[in-house]
Amino acid sequence: MAIAVNPFDPRTVLLAKHAQHVVLVHFPIALLITAVGFDIAGEWWKKPQLSTVARYNLAVAALATIPVVATGLLAWQWQLAGHKLKGVLLQHLVMGVVSSLLIWLVWWMHVRTKDRTVRLPIELLAALAVAVTAHLGGFLSGVNAPG
Amino acid sequence: MNRNVFIGAVVLALALQVAGQDAKGTTVEVKIDNFSFSPATITIPAGTTVRWTNRDDIPHTVVSDKEIFKSKPLDTDDQFSYTFTKPGTYDYFCSIHPKMTGKVVVQ
Repeated sequence: MAIAVNPFDPRTVLLAKHAQHVVLVHFPIALLITAVGFDIAGEWWKKPQLSTVARYNLAVAALATIPVVATGLLAWQWQLAGHKLKGVLLQHLVMGVVSSLLIWLVWWMHVRTKDRTVRLPIELLAALAVAVTAHLGGFLSGVNAPG
Repeated sequence: MNRNVFIGAVVLALALQVAGQDAKGTTVEVKIDNFSFSPATITIPAGTTVRWTNRDDIPHTVVSDKEIFKSKPLDTDDQFSYTFTKPGTYDYFCSIHPKMTGKVVVQ
């Protein structure tokens, strides 16, 4: 028997079977990786325009972290009833928050300074943090599941 | 004489044990492994307790479709139990992996 659902109910949109967190999370990941690529290319070929492109990518990536973090926290509260997390779930939460803060930090550094000596290592650190978070998230989402 | 007393004591002990089990009700095990509930469907009499044990390396939950029961996230080897007192069909799923579904039929 089909269950009637209201497509405009936030719980319908955010909870299991319609979880938006796993959809939205791809935007900041892709934008950050693109931005880091442009910034490194700008440094390599001495083209400041590429760093400007990186800055715009980072701005959108930073904004995109807001709905990602929000939907992740709401999924925790609604889907898992706000239970105390441990193991991979806790690691994913902590790394997700760290990754988001690093993306905002990298964007802020782009706006505040043109000095790449500190910025590029932090960009790479942010990319690493995002990769770890994504790995844990993929593990949780069941990409290894059979079928 | 002593032999009769011994046999009587054994019979009494067994009877008490059976009575104790009836009072507590039985427990049926459901294993969570390889992203599935096993067995996926169970049929039990009312008053039976179902105990789910997560054997996966990944956390799972056990949530009734109608939210009659809802476990916390179960890490590896964590367990969740629920006693079914009313007859009916109880569909459930893992809220982290909604494709994982199971059913408890209570007679």
